[in-house]
Amino acid sequence: MSGTSAARGVLGAVLILALWEATARGFALPAYTLPAVTQILAAVWEHRAALQAAALVTGFEAVTGYAIGALAGIGMATLLVLARPLRVGVLPLLLAINSVPVVAWSPLVLLWFGVGVSSKIVMVALAVGFTIFLSALAGFDRVDRRSVDLMRSFGAGRMGIFWRLRLPAALPLIAAGLRVATVRSLIVAIVTEMLGAYGGLGWIIYQSVTLIDFVQVWAAILVASTLSLAFFGAVGALERRFIFWR
Amino acid sequence: MNRRHLLAATGAAAVTPFIRPAGAQTLTRATLRLKWLTQAQFAGFYVAQQKGYYREAGIDLTINPGGPNLLTENLVASGADTFGLSGGTDSVFAARERNLPIICAGVMHQQTPFVFVTRADGPIRTLADFRGKTITTWFTGANFVLLGMLAQAGLSRGDFTMQPQQVSVQPFVDRQVDVVTATRYNEFFTLMQRVGRDNLRTFVPDDHGITFPRDTVIVSEQTARDRPQTVTAFLRATIRGWRDALRDGKAGVDAVMSVAPTLNRPHQEFMMEEAGKLMVAGGAAQNGLFWIDRPVVQAAHDFFLRHEVIKTRLDLAAAYNSSFLEAIPLADRMA
Amino acid sequence: MNAAAMAALRLMGGVILAGLAWEAAVVGFGIRPHLLPRLSDIFAAIALTPGAYWAGLQRTAAETLIGFAAGTAVGIANGLLFFRAPVLRDMLLPVFVVSQTIPVIAFGALVVMWFGNTLMAKAVIAFYLTFFPVTVNTLLGLNSVDPRQAALLRSFGATPTQILFRLQLPMALPQIFVALRLGASLSLVGAIVGEWFGDNTGIGVLLLQAMYNESVVALWAAILCAALLGTGFYALVAWAERRIVFWGAEQ
Repeated sequence: MSGTSAARGVLGAVLILALWEATARGFALPAYTLPAVTQILAAVWEHRAALQAAALVTGFEAVTGYAIGALAGIGMATLLVLARPLRVGVLPLLLAINSVPVVAWSPLVLLWFGVGVSSKIVMVALAVGFTIFLSALAGFDRVDRRSVDLMRSFGAGRMGIFWRLRLPAALPLIAAGLRVATVRSLIVAIVTEMLGAYGGLGWIIYQSVTLIDFVQVWAAILVASTLSLAFFGAVGALERRFIFWR
Repeated sequence: MNRRHLLAATGAAAVTPFIRPAGAQTLTRATLRLKWLTQAQFAGFYVAQQKGYYREAGIDLTINPGGPNLLTENLVASGADTFGLSGGTDSVFAARERNLPIICAGVMHQQTPFVFVTRADGPIRTLADFRGKTITTWFTGANFVLLGMLAQAGLSRGDFTMQPQQVSVQPFVDRQVDVVTATRYNEFFTLMQRVGRDNLRTFVPDDHGITFPRDTVIVSEQTARDRPQTVTAFLRATIRGWRDALRDGKAGVDAVMSVAPTLNRPHQEFMMEEAGKLMVAGGAAQNGLFWIDRPVVQAAHDFFLRHEVIKTRLDLAAAYNSSFLEAIPLADRMA
Repeated sequence: MNAAAMAALRLMGGVILAGLAWEAAVVGFGIRPHLLPRLSDIFAAIALTPGAYWAGLQRTAAETLIGFAAGTAVGIANGLLFFRAPVLRDMLLPVFVVSQTIPVIAFGALVVMWFGNTLMAKAVIAFYLTFFPVTVNTLLGLNSVDPRQAALLRSFGATPTQILFRLQLPMALPQIFVALRLGASLSLVGAIVGEWFGDNTGIGVLLLQAMYNESVVALWAAILCAALLGTGFYALVAWAERRIVFWGAEQ
């Protein structure tokens, strides 16, 4: 991002925050409609210990589930590319499972894996896994048929074609999938926590709503949002560092 | 699209439902927000609606179910809903403490609707046996009731493990936890199904002097002030519906299941029965349905204050208003 | 069209086979019904109250479609706007990114307060989840058009509008459709989550009721409905893509 566009981004954010603050203060909106930005920031500071602990739980669930999902997604895509016959049988099944919205699985996953951390990790892995599986598969399939034929005519095997042709072609798409999945992983962890958990940001949100502490809800969301952006930024930075050919 | 709602919300003015002519008679449009998903716990409201009692009382009522992460007090305070059947005395206290402009106009469940359940063959026979055990409960009020009960047995916070309970009683069924919290009408049914009634031991808060009335009818302060006769009309029609539902439980369940047909009928019939018992218990026996039992509410308030769930002493006379109920003759309020 | 008929037949065969495998696995391995019920039990549950499931399906489908349509329209409009006005893009796109990190479910009460308990409230959430990927991909697609081609057209006297509709937008369509396929499932998620904020009809309502009543059979019945809707909608978008972007389909 160039200097000017970054400056414009900051300007946009500042304008919106100012508008928010002015609306909340100007109309004297009650906290259950829209608390002021400064009120939310004060709440974050006031409850920093609890929020930090919750962010650790949610962050752990999201990152663990993300890692499992990413490995499973890329692994499954690789498997289906290398073993064509498997693809015919497994791909429709995977697509069918994927056509059910992730949130629809959450009640079932909670009943199966309990209210603890594991159900959140499973949900995140499910959501992240499918996102990355689909982008990896699309990436592997993106190669030009003529290039495949050409390499084959030089005697390259399935593995050779995979390493030299398919994987490099797929990397940008996999990387894009990895970046998109970061934000999803946190949202899915939080949504599942809201339906049932022993801790985490989603649980704080749920508790705060029942205990009528709306500023606290916004504070937890602010922390969650910051966490998502940090995760997104970290994966983006790793990608720039390691995918040197871009 | 829907600018009216948007403006109302951002302007923070309570949306007073407007009066619209409907045929010859004028009906006031109003909504009722329930505390949870449609189920037999709310049968009387559905009966009253389907039998036209609200219309006869001049109200064109829409019943909106609740859900996780929806707070009835919030929606009534903001004017999104006219009436609410909210969590209970506890959530009314919390709302009043945070200056949400709502008042309670009636109480549905006169007794604590939940109990603490252990296995009959397990090591827990008295409250003192809770020491060192794992308990799951709701961290929205029930946890303090249990703390209060256990304090009577000389136990304090560090003497046992207390975990939040959500979604499922399965951990108790699978013997992962020793004590589970159950509403008499809902979770207890599931427990009976999975473990068997005879294998369950219950600890009842009311037996230990802690009564915690729940399921409160709330309205905004503005509605209570400007349109008291609408509140009374709503209560009158509601009580009519409940009297019918209590007399004919099957019809009550029918009314609910016509709205939510996928519900399990035996479970709903059990719920109807148990919820009914809670409604006619205590002060309701002499003073009729939805009675606000002031000494009980005061005791619950003092209990919460003692446990620092609420930090400030509340003006209960302002928060609980019986005048709407008292405008209905006692004979019409009796179950 | 014979090939299409064959494909449909094969698909049906696959579905039936998978169903039989499910039934056989549950019976054969003696899986406890609260983990995985028999498929026949699930169908029986649906057959008991078909009206509720049908009404839920229709309601959720309507919410999804409205949200998706609005999300597509606004997303493409945003993409065009950002393409033409980089200042706006720089100012607003980061805000959009932040908006997507917020779990909507946390704001159930706000959604009800602002949009009431209407079908529209759910469509708004479906919209909120859909518009962002469409915006981003429209912008990406428009930016990927070779500027030399645009310059060439301009030298022939084409107006900016003509260049947009004859060159840039068609070239961006494959990218846009990638987002639309994603949006198809996201809008369904939005509609279902929207129904968790207190409603009477919809697949989201059925899911929630089943979950809190700990009825695994009813839960699966609702999941099957969601799968049906999800697959159908995705197939519809993919079909539209093949018809409209006939030149750039993958593979």
